[in-house]
Amino acid sequence: MSTVEGTGTDTPDAGLPTATRWQDPGAQPAASGSAPPRPRAGTSARTVDALREIVDWEHGLVAPAIHFDEEVYRVEAERVFDRAWLVVGHEDMVRKPGDYITNYMGEVPVIVVRDAQGEIRVLVNKCSHRGNQVCLFDRGNVKGFTCSYHGWSFGLDGALTGAPMEQMLYRGELDKAAWGLEPVAQVVNFHGLLFATFDRSAPAFESWLDADARWWLENFVLSTPLGGLEMLPGWHRYRSPGNWKLVCENFIGDDYHVYSATHVSWLAMIQDFMEQGVRIPIITYPGTTDGPMYEGSAGGNGRGAPMGMGMVVADNDSLFKRDLAEAQELGPEAVDWVEYRREKLLELAQGRPVKPYSFMNGLVYPNMALMGFFSPMLGRHFQMFHPRGPVEHECWQWTMVERDAPQVVKDLAVQRVYQGQHGAGVIAPDDVENFERMVEAGKPARSWRRPFHYGLQLGHEDEGPKGLPGNLGPNPSEVNQRQFYRFWLEMMERS
Amino acid sequence: MTTSVNWELKREVEDFLYREAHILDEHRLEDWLDLFTEDAEYLVPLREYVQGDVAPAGHPVIKDDKQMLTVRVRKDATGYSHVETPVSMTCHLISNVVVDEGPEPDEVEVLSAFTVRQARKLRDEAWWAGRRRDRLRRVDGGWKIARREVHLDATVLPRGIAIFF
Ligand code: FES
Ligand SMILES: [Fe+2]
Repeated sequence: MSTVEGTGTDTPDAGLPTATRWQDPGAQPAASGSAPPRPRAGTSARTVDALREIVDWEHGLVAPAIHFDEEVYRVEAERVFDRAWLVVGHEDMVRKPGDYITNYMGEVPVIVVRDAQGEIRVLVNKCSHRGNQVCLFDRGNVKGFTCSYHGWSFGLDGALTGAPMEQMLYRGELDKAAWGLEPVAQVVNFHGLLFATFDRSAPAFESWLDADARWWLENFVLSTPLGGLEMLPGWHRYRSPGNWKLVCENFIGDDYHVYSATHVSWLAMIQDFMEQGVRIPIITYPGTTDGPMYEGSAGGNGRGAPMGMGMVVADNDSLFKRDLAEAQELGPEAVDWVEYRREKLLELAQGRPVKPYSFMNGLVYPNMALMGFFSPMLGRHFQMFHPRGPVEHECWQWTMVERDAPQVVKDLAVQRVYQGQHGAGVIAPDDVENFERMVEAGKPARSWRRPFHYGLQLGHEDEGPKGLPGNLGPNPSEVNQRQFYRFWLEMMERS
Repeated sequence: MTTSVNWELKREVEDFLYREAHILDEHRLEDWLDLFTEDAEYLVPLREYVQGDVAPAGHPVIKDDKQMLTVRVRKDATGYSHVETPVSMTCHLISNVVVDEGPEPDEVEVLSAFTVRQARKLRDEAWWAGRRRDRLRRVDGGWKIARREVHLDATVLPRGIAIFF
């Protein structure tokens, strides 16, 4: 690409400092520091053939073609969503035999159902006869599923149990055992969180999600040592522009956007209304903490799927004290509980030099986003970002609270979820707006090659306290975004 | 058993709702807040399709009191509320108004249907449709909204909600 003065096209951004100034892609700069010149991602090469060149996570450079190109999207369905271990729900959603929820794995509709024997099944929501959708509801309790086209019926375990006029029409020759609903290849219940994969030869769950990631997930997200989580029924869903990866990279580690620009209106509100003495849940929420906070990373780095935890509060009592002060207003039960769980967390960190207390945001690769929001006085968010074409996704959200929390805490914690990081809250819509703008700015193929900048804390990833599973590094950071794209690239290159 | 009110009262309530729609579409949100009683509730229930015997939804989409509504309005006034920068153009079409006597002598129960088109920037848009159930209360000779339930006809919201219905 050459620059022609005064034509108004292809003009480099003159105001950028030299280190990040756009140059010919044949000599791309690293997002941080300098890097050797690399081969140019030619315009003639298809994006899927040039992925290694345009997903240069090591230098913090990833070209946006992967968020727009339809071919990337198609290949991604096979190589990422058909192979990954994907979260499909929580066992709390299907407590009794016959309970089911519907969800998606990538773009594939699935039914998560507890069968008569109490086993949780994940079935493709598609009739084996001629492909009709067999379940039309978001959730329910049933004895089986009957197709509306020719009336084949299926048990809770997916087995074909009947076909109308079977004896007369099929003359006893229909091999019912072979014509059940398609089950996914494998299902794992990890402390209540349900994972499924379509891939029979997928890595074992324990190597997909390595021990470090499982430690954080079990203890800090699912709060297993504290008595686990309890779910509020009902999917809260919204459509949003933007490739699913854009929002997932945001959750895995973009703590930069929170205080720098995206959510400042919310933070200003907290300040303003607190000063006026207005006390409603989202306003009395601890918007920040004094003292150390880290970017937590687990998995990735060649050890399975990456999991990121943003704003991990560790060796820092300020939030515990904040929670305690709030609990005092809620009554002695709340105080006892806040103190009890603090002790449990200290026990968990026994013998370790670092004592974690809470986390803000997170993601389990590829698309299970999490919000811990600093504090148990705020419900835990689970947000699935389902792909819906290259430039659109859907958020499917559910809320959980710690099961052993007193009711006053649960009530407060729940309100904060719906007033904040939620499709109708005062936080999430500002994220959605950014994705809308990114799509408008990035749609033309002309704009797909100039890489995005993922250089935050590049080379400083492990400058944090040692001794916990995974890694704690400086915050904000883009270490987890780099790991996200590294793993994504690995999956995309496995043909 | 519901009892519909007389024709003049119905006209009065319709006039209130139409004026309210214009206030929203003119983006006079502080004036809009004034239309609510201090103890007002503003609810958007979760719409979902369920089958058989299951627990009800754990939380509505929105469950606001007047203070939370105020927070939403003032958030946009900070100048940093990206989702309303620039502000959305909206057109609230209100119809199918039915007015019944309310639980208190100074209250009426009002059903209405709405279509709202939201347009932003060059081409971003959303269509919202649904029904409202309002409880209006007579205050100082005028009407105020004491309770509003907004039943949006969507199980997946077409975009994040940052406008009012
Ligand atoms: S498609 Fe389901 S019975 Fe024929
Ligand atoms: Fe955000």
